[in-house]
Parts: sequence; C-alpha cells; structure tokens
Amino acid sequence: MIKIVIFILIIFLNYKYALSRNIGETEITTEDGIEVFQEEKYYLLKKNVEIISDEFRLNGNLVKIYFEKDLYDIQELIASSNVSFISSVHNIKGKGEDLKFNIQSQEINVSGERSELFLETTEMFSDGSITVNNLVGSFSIEGPNSKLISDDILITGFMINGTLFNQNGNREINNLEVKDENLLNIITTDTEMFSKKALYDKKKSIIELFDSVTIERGGEIITGDYGIFDTNKNAYKVTSKKSNKVKAIISNTK
Amino acid sequence: MNFLLSLNKKAFAAFCFVFIIFILFVFLLTYYTSTNDSKNKININDKSSDISEPKFSINSKKQKISVTAREGNFLTEDEIVLEKNVIFKSNKFKIYTDNVVFNKRTLVASSQTKSKFISNNTSIDSAGFDIIENGNIINFKGKTKLILK
Repeated sequence: MIKIVIFILIIFLNYKYALSRNIGETEITTEDGIEVFQEEKYYLLKKNVEIISDEFRLNGNLVKIYFEKDLYDIQELIASSNVSFISSVHNIKGKGEDLKFNIQSQEINVSGERSELFLETTEMFSDGSITVNNLVGSFSIEGPNSKLISDDILITGFMINGTLFNQNGNREINNLEVKDENLLNIITTDTEMFSKKALYDKKKSIIELFDSVTIERGGEIITGDYGIFDTNKNAYKVTSKKSNKVKAIISNTK
Repeated sequence: MNFLLSLNKKAFAAFCFVFIIFILFVFLLTYYTSTNDSKNKININDKSSDISEPKFSINSKKQKISVTAREGNFLTEDEIVLEKNVIFKSNKFKIYTDNVVFNKRTLVASSQTKSKFISNNTSIDSAGFDIIENGNIINFKGKTKLILK
C-alpha cells in the first residue's frame, strides 16, 4: 500500500516536468505575452521571461529576439531588466541589467551596474559592460569598477581587454591590456602594482607597466615611469625617464 | 536511523491519501468550472447566428491571412464576433481559437480566449491575441508559452 501511495505521489509531484519540453526544444514562458513583429522580424517577450533549452537557461523581464526566416531561426537576443543566464554546456554564467547575445558571432555582452560574467577559471565584474566573443576568443571589460579575477591575480581598471586560449576545455587568459587614467591595480599573491597602462603576455610571463608606476611588495614601495614584472621568477624592475627619479631592481626569486 | 524509516507508516499513508484526495478535488473543481463556462457559452450561442461559416481575409503587401469560423454574429456594423473553430491561416502560420472579435473595416482581430499559434517548428499557447496592422503585429496576451523545435 505504502509503495503504491509513494509511486502515485511521485507521479503527481513530477507530472509538470513530464509534460514540459522535449530534448532539443526551447521553451519560453512569459507572464504578459509575446508581441510578434513579422515585417521587422523580431518578437518581444514581456514580464518574468524564462527561456530554457538544452544548452542554456535565461531569465529576464523584457526580451527581444530577432529572427531570420521563422520564429525559431534566432539571430540575436536582447534582454533587459535584471537578466541572469547560465550555460553548463559552454561553462558560462552571468547576470546584469541588460544582455545582448549574437548567435552567429557568438558574442555575449552583459551591461549595467553589478554586471558579472564567469567562465571556467575567470571571473569578470563591471558597472559598465562585459563582452566575451567565444568565436574569436576575446573579451572586454569596460566602465567603473571593472575587475578581473583569474587564478591568483586580481586586476582592476577602467578598461580591461584580453584574449583567451583554450587549454583542455578551459578558457585561459592569453594577453591582457589594461588602462585606467586614475591608476589601474594588479594584485598577485605578494605584490601589488599600480600604473595607467599595463600589458600582460602569458607566453613571455611578463606584465609591463606604463606611466605613474608603483610596485609594492612587503614594506617596499618603488615608483617610476616603467615597470616590468616577471610572473615566473616573481621578480620586477622599475625604471624612470629622468635619472634623478627613483630607479630600482629588486629580485625575489621563489 | 534513516528519517524515512522512523516515520509512522500508517500516519504517512493517511497523509498521502488525504493529499491525493485534495489534489483530485482541485482537479475536479477546475474541470467543473471549465465545463460550466463552456455550457454558458453554448447557451449564448443557442440562438441562430447572423452568418454561418463566415470567411474574411486580412491582406497586406507581404501576406494574406484568411479568417474562417463556424458562426459569426454582428456586434456593430463593422464588428463581428466569430465563434467556434475560428482559424487564422497564412502561408506562414495558423492560429486556432474559439472566439474572436473581428473588425472588417480596420482588419483588427481580438481574442480573449485560449489560442494556439502553429508555425514552422514553432508553437505558441496564449490566453488570447490581437492581430493589428494588417497582420504585421500579432500580440499574444497573458501567460504565454512558446516552444521552438
């Protein structure tokens, strides 16, 4: 008797899921309807929009979807008002005020205050916008409070541009260009760097710092016009255009 | 000890029984309400209709939408209530519903009843719809579910 009752209970509690979408289908639900503009080739999804497919899940309050021939032939998705998404297949998740996703170029853009975008080992934050192009393997974080966290390095700056490379299914940072007129900040396990511009090259294991350079480690603070930090040797060098300014070479091999 | 094993089996069975009865009651109530609504609808439609099997079309530069129904009744000189098996059909889609107010002068159609849109690899279930601008804009209203295959 108990077994039968439990079986019936399971059926009752799961019937909603059993009747939902099939594999390969995308299910979109809205609270306040859908407006289809046939000539303009887009449709508007309104209020508490939920998009569920095999590859991703998206929630937002207003979603505009551009299509090519028919409604299923999606080209671009523009979501606004507290958007969140997750794709376990592509190992990407994020949230922000607005989101733009182009299917063909595989470019995703999250914008607005407290925007977040997470890849396998890389976390991106900004109050401006975060763009990742999966096809080209590039990313851009721009605006106030832009921040990048990857492995043991934390970078803050107004503009952080970079490229990614795929290693064993993990997208890792290849190159970086960071700019901030009010000084960018790079923090490693034991060193903190400041400058107006920085370049990072993964192959050379080098971070170059330009303009108003400050490097802090332990109790030491070194300033200059140009700095170079070797991430492999954990050593740095600071130089200055003017010979009377502080110039230092400090080595601290692990 | 496992929490489930510590439960009183009889009490648990009784709880499940009451729960199932409650669910069935909710289902029956929903069913009764819906059938009652349809009975009312039938009563309204008992009178003979103004037009039997009306046919209209919404024409635009890019498409032609034909509108058919089993019955039609004039609300005003321009507005007609289309009832029972109302179908909007174009070369791209079909919309099925049971009650639509169609304005033959402005070519605006409006439905407040459950509607189903079917197109290539696409289906939309909604609580109603409006067709405006000669069929260019279809506004599916209320809680809506779109399935893309």
